[in-house]
Amino acid sequence: MGFIFTNVMSSYGLLAAVLLLVAATVCSQLIRSKRAALFTSMFMLAAAAAFSAHLILVSVSLSVISIISINMFSMLFVLLFAVAMMLVNVLSYRHSRDYTSFAMLASFSFAGIFIVATAASLISIFIGLEIMAITTAFMILSDGKHGIESATKFFILSSVSIAIFAFALALILPYSGQLQLSALSASAITGNYLIVLAIVLFAAALAFEAALFPFNLWTPDVYEGAPGNITALLAGVNKKVAFVALIEIFMVVLLAYKSVFSLLFLVLAIVTMFYGNIVAIVQKSVKRMFAYSSISQAGYIVIGLAAASAFGIEASIFQMVAHAFMIIGAFALILWLESRNIRSIDDYAGLNSRNRFAALSLSVLMLSMAGIPPLIGFDGKFLLFSSALSANMLALAVLGIINSFISIYYYARVINAMYTSKEHPRLMTDRHVAAVVIACLVVVVALGIYPQPLITLATQASAAILVL
Amino acid sequence: MFPIISAMLVIPIVGFVLIALLKERMSKGIAVASTAIVFALTLGLLIYSITTGNANLSESYSYISSFGIGLSFRLGIIPLILLFMSSIVLLATALSGNHENSRPRAANMLIMLFQIASIGLFTSANFFMFFIFWDIGVIAMFFMINVLGSANRRQASIKFLIYELLASALLLLAILMIYFYTPVHSFDIAYITSNIAMIPANVQGAIFALLFIAFMINMPLFPLHHWLPDAHTEASTQGSMLLSGILTKYGGFGMILLFGMMPVSHSWASYIALLAAFSTFYAVFLLMRQTDVKRIIAYSTIVEMGIVMFGITALNSLGTYGAVYAMLSHGLVVALMFLAVGSLKHLFGERDINILRGTVLNAKATTYTFLIGTLAMVGFPLSAGFIADILIFLGTLQSFGLLGLIPLGALILLGSYMYFVINRSMLATREHSRNVDYIGMQQRIGYAFLMFFIFLFGVLPFLLLNLVKL
Repeated sequence: MGFIFTNVMSSYGLLAAVLLLVAATVCSQLIRSKRAALFTSMFMLAAAAAFSAHLILVSVSLSVISIISINMFSMLFVLLFAVAMMLVNVLSYRHSRDYTSFAMLASFSFAGIFIVATAASLISIFIGLEIMAITTAFMILSDGKHGIESATKFFILSSVSIAIFAFALALILPYSGQLQLSALSASAITGNYLIVLAIVLFAAALAFEAALFPFNLWTPDVYEGAPGNITALLAGVNKKVAFVALIEIFMVVLLAYKSVFSLLFLVLAIVTMFYGNIVAIVQKSVKRMFAYSSISQAGYIVIGLAAASAFGIEASIFQMVAHAFMIIGAFALILWLESRNIRSIDDYAGLNSRNRFAALSLSVLMLSMAGIPPLIGFDGKFLLFSSALSANMLALAVLGIINSFISIYYYARVINAMYTSKEHPRLMTDRHVAAVVIACLVVVVALGIYPQPLITLATQASAAILVL
Repeated sequence: MFPIISAMLVIPIVGFVLIALLKERMSKGIAVASTAIVFALTLGLLIYSITTGNANLSESYSYISSFGIGLSFRLGIIPLILLFMSSIVLLATALSGNHENSRPRAANMLIMLFQIASIGLFTSANFFMFFIFWDIGVIAMFFMINVLGSANRRQASIKFLIYELLASALLLLAILMIYFYTPVHSFDIAYITSNIAMIPANVQGAIFALLFIAFMINMPLFPLHHWLPDAHTEASTQGSMLLSGILTKYGGFGMILLFGMMPVSHSWASYIALLAAFSTFYAVFLLMRQTDVKRIIAYSTIVEMGIVMFGITALNSLGTYGAVYAMLSHGLVVALMFLAVGSLKHLFGERDINILRGTVLNAKATTYTFLIGTLAMVGFPLSAGFIADILIFLGTLQSFGLLGLIPLGALILLGSYMYFVINRSMLATREHSRNVDYIGMQQRIGYAFLMFFIFLFGVLPFLLLNLVKL
């Protein structure tokens, strides 16, 4: 066609895709057309993914209208979140009670996520997180059977976390007078205890969203109360957005305080891993078990932040991508099984004889979460434990491996239950769920066997964020 | 040169995919074809090595280049022998292990997965690949027990998984430590072996302890052997054949690598020898209390692997090659015996020695196979076990003096008790168990195939021993 995308055009295209996504889903909501909502959401998200993929391929670093920074880091996450959003949209189209509202809220949420991922200033992160949190609260509310309790819980706690975030922001502001990430990082403000307080407050505020112990008390209830598609969104996307914000704030703005926050994250990583894994062992409900397991997975991701090096961030980024696909696949299956009244581990007994596909794919996803090679979860953990060792944190690596070993137990318990022979009526596979799960499985297996492309991307992304 | 090792690895992968996609009744054929091709390739490699006197091969591909991890394979005489043994056992398993042909798709897919793991593990040139294939093997075996096993398979498979993944967690920690303490960060086994002195002594001690415990769980040695008898009792015949025949050799192979790699192991060798000797006697005495034939053979595996460990601790070439020969012999023998037990169960619906009576009347082939397997296991002349025992005990005699012959006592106890068992149950013809079924030609071919190699390596030991300097 002779039409060549320049980098700037791609960047504006990306921006346009996000804006059009919002506009189109609002229109679909006005005319209440499910098909239009699905079609426009998928098309615009695919466009956003394509533009960000193009910007990754040309590996460009530029700033658009001075608040959106386009670099490897932001584009990798825009790509990840756009793909994850597409998967959640497919799930919700079939399983949501009111899909047009969902699509609209999800598009708002994606706009917030986009703002966080491409943030050039602390204010952008703040605004993006707020947009995401509020729309998520509405999504939980509009969809679940026990929605109101979960939504209230989520809303109150995320308001508190945003308030804390604002306070931390206010503590930083007087010392630099500006909020641009790149400018802030240049004026490394050292030797002030108020900054240490700001570090703790930032960590606390984002630990709510990222569900790190001891700020995770809302997670199991909200995950269980919300319908599976929203849970997939919470665990697969929202949590990762909080980590993106964590990396942007700590590795750029507060890098001068590396020794302080490294210790902080060391403690958070250890307690989060142990809490998630140990509590997951005693769960009866599979959905709740996965909620705790995703808490422990967040603990693994924090290992990379504790290492506080380029390698550590690279490992964290890898594991964030890996976990997003694993958990979306798992919650997609759980959502579908829940609609067939299969909830507790006892209900999962004999699942293999009812539906081979469900049992096999859930097994693969769980083995990947448990860190069994050659699946993607293993590569992520391998990188994380390596990064801990390379930062001379042998104890952290040992505790991580111990946790990875503990987690085998509860995953194996579900696998064990699924492969007992028990005569049940067969279950028909839901094709929307199957499509999402197959997409996730392809990522988990293909990037597990050959992780080099994702490792390269993660290396470039972590280099890009550290340059800022 | 033709990349024969990676070709060997591709075949079971293709088999795995084909079995998953094609019709269920074709799965056995694909599995047998795939294992047969791999067997032919390893046989070709062995003949090539015997004729040229050189078993060294290596292949390398780029894999995770940011960490210097290559998809690298290398073959020496020890890996080649174990690879050959595993290809024989896998072919016999795929051909004759599944008497009822139950769940053929699941069973054969898992066999293919296990074959991928075995080929990869025995030929891997770096610890990263070693670890990955180790875990694939463990997971394949877990599903073999969990999905295809008998009534109590759930507890047994979880027990197996916990023990084995504890081993793999220790292994992962150890290889990560090796990677970060070698000056040029590397997973390459040859590089680490030649540069082990660069690692500080206390770290070496820690790495040795981690690897030793990991391999010890897998072998298994007392006191970490509890998973093995339960896993065997509940596994299917095919699962048992592969579990004792090949999976326990992962640990033995790892021990040989470890003792070759770390000089620090030499200062521990005599204590480990003591542990190994104790393990053999402990297992023999437990074995005498068992009535389930499968459990008896499971404990005999602990005895044999104790002797393998004992041979490795002799720290001389006789002991080490004796240990490899013992693993070759034991892999074949134990697969033969589990196959025979599977046939007994299929024929008479029973595996208890108090109930099995006079099977020799109605199941001559199976009973005599079992008898021959027993004799070969305790090292009867003309069987491969005999050569293995001679090598091992010559080696330990050199290192420990007459004390080095003590585990021979366990072997004699094992042999005499086993013969006593057979005499009282299978050969006691006063009353006899009733057939409920018959065995097919495939099982007989399996017997003959395994027995052929047991005697081939017993009668013509120089085929392999010419390749090494003893």
